[in-house]
Amino acid sequence: MLVLETPTHTVASALPGIDSTPMADTARPELDPDELRRLFAEQAIPYMDQLYAAAMRMTRNPADAGDLVQETYTKAFGAFGGFEQGTNLKAWLYRILTNTYINSYRKNQRSPYQGTLDELEDWQLGSAESLTQHRTTRSAEAEAIDHLPDSDVKEALQSIPEDFRLAVYLADVEGFAYQEIADIMKTPVGTVMSRLHRGRRLLRERLAEYARERGYTVADTPSRSTR
Amino acid sequence: MTDCGCDKAKAELEEFLHRELSESDLQDIQEHLDNCEDCSTEHLVGLTLIQKVQRACQEKAPDELRASILAALDA
Repeated sequence: MLVLETPTHTVASALPGIDSTPMADTARPELDPDELRRLFAEQAIPYMDQLYAAAMRMTRNPADAGDLVQETYTKAFGAFGGFEQGTNLKAWLYRILTNTYINSYRKNQRSPYQGTLDELEDWQLGSAESLTQHRTTRSAEAEAIDHLPDSDVKEALQSIPEDFRLAVYLADVEGFAYQEIADIMKTPVGTVMSRLHRGRRLLRERLAEYARERGYTVADTPSRSTR
Repeated sequence: MTDCGCDKAKAELEEFLHRELSESDLQDIQEHLDNCEDCSTEHLVGLTLIQKVQRACQEKAPDELRASILAALDA
């Protein structure tokens, strides 16, 4: 019913890569299939809404998001025998989700420049200096952002480069630690930080734009908001 | 007492927001934020951004999807 004796392999090795080679740990005690199914239903199924939300931000449409989540659960269940009980199941599931997305979905829509995105300078990303210039209105900025409708936030998120978006999503929505994000995105922690910082800056600029378009005062008035 | 000024706070604000600093750095910056309006406003913007994104990204998996995943489990 509870945990088996601690296996020696790591979580990462339990991940189905593209498609799993049989894991090297076949010697570890097997759970019987019913027990495995019960554990999976109890532990992994509760993450469905979250995984679906992440899939929506990745694929941008409900049909693909549904397929992606379904495929993720299929793979996860197939590999669940190798999941080390007591380690971070949520991170494990997100790793499968992200892997699956990158391997099967992103290929179709990947634009040519994205591979080198991390090397681009900020000015090439169209990131303005505006953030540092208007310090007097920052409290107005927070207020304006706070008033924006969810649809604006989603749209702004959708508009930033994918790797940045994913880093922001995993950190800010899911609350993963940098190291966990690095594992999920298979990239060094330094890259995670850079993607997160740049993603959040772009997001903030985009939201400030929306706020201005909606007539909230951001960065254009000299002092406090007058509205 | 502390030499934690605006430069350090600004440089590490993102890591502060994401709790990716050592206890003592967290404390330094918290202390600075308590006393510096400029930095604490910047912190507020960052915090608002996080909360906003969290709220906007809530979704519920469609019932058919849930049903089909559960059905596949029992297959």
